[in-house]
Amino acid sequence: MAGAEAGELNVPAPEIGADSSRRRYELEETGFREVPKKWRKFYRHWGGPLDVLAPNEVVCPVCKVVIRSTRELRPGDKVYCMPCMSRMVVVRRDDGRLEADVIF
Amino acid sequence: MVVDEFDPHALAEQDFLDEVHSFQFWFDSVEGYLSDRPYGRLETTVDEEMDDNRRERLITTLCNYSVGETAALEGAAGLVQLAPDRNSKIFMATQVADEARHLEVFLHRIRELGVADPEAEIARRAQPALVDFKGTLLELISQGDWQAGVFAQNVILETMEYTVFRLHAATADAVTKDVLAGVISDERRHAGFGENDLGRSLAIDPSGRGRLREIRADLDPMVLGVFEAALTDVGAPAEGHAQLAGEYLDTVERLGLT
Repeated sequence: MAGAEAGELNVPAPEIGADSSRRRYELEETGFREVPKKWRKFYRHWGGPLDVLAPNEVVCPVCKVVIRSTRELRPGDKVYCMPCMSRMVVVRRDDGRLEADVIF
Repeated sequence: MVVDEFDPHALAEQDFLDEVHSFQFWFDSVEGYLSDRPYGRLETTVDEEMDDNRRERLITTLCNYSVGETAALEGAAGLVQLAPDRNSKIFMATQVADEARHLEVFLHRIRELGVADPEAEIARRAQPALVDFKGTLLELISQGDWQAGVFAQNVILETMEYTVFRLHAATADAVTKDVLAGVISDERRHAGFGENDLGRSLAIDPSGRGRLREIRADLDPMVLGVFEAALTDVGAPAEGHAQLAGEYLDTVERLGLT
């Protein structure tokens, strides 16, 4: 899948955390230590294809780290992967799964 | 409405880029996974018994990893001067430090495996294709070509290393696994920087794609063959070869370079 270019997408402002219509998640650190302490709870190691993702999680297609949000994720949300410096937008695949496409 | 004080996804794009390229971000990141690991290994990890055949294959693999790390060390150092903006310059300086550490921990591990003169052993065991790749990478950089240098180093070399080191870590002895774990964490940044830096510049000016495809055609085989051999040497499962090619192809496809 080709990376999405910023001009091709209508990416909403990053207001995920302030949207009260979405289920909220209390994040805790899970042992991921590859970013500064204050950001660690927003990422976790991916366990491979059998790793079941929560509604507030997507896998970074660049570095395969799980990106986590304090709110459930929806298509169009913009998220960042700090471990590999990628920006991405959440998309829903044909089978209903949420994934992330890189935005350049 | 309560919003987390530190929510990375709420950052403005430029704030995000400033944060992840900063020296402070790098310093606070590596502190998290390297501070308790002298030469990359936990002091509590015990060396496993290893038969001669496995040890020899591991030494050869680590010698070739060292060639790759030396290429990246010299390449990143050259790219600091070419970096087009402050964030890229600072990031590339942190990569110089990472690559120097990688070379040091691999040399240290080679010594632990009984090699008295690792430098001589690397010269003896290095795959010629990887040495040729290093020469080509440094030539691109000496020509002042930032985009080509980043592509060769941070996309071709680092993306393949990122996959190979992860596959190797899955079957490695305990100490080598420790050493690789820290390197893998660093490679995540390097490969990500390369893809995103190139992706942003190609989005603005797609005309560079044709030239990068030509560079790719020249350099891909040099690196891919070496790392496929490494996967065989370290006993990676057959699916590992497909994963190596697949993850690399995913990257070049996202960049529109297939």
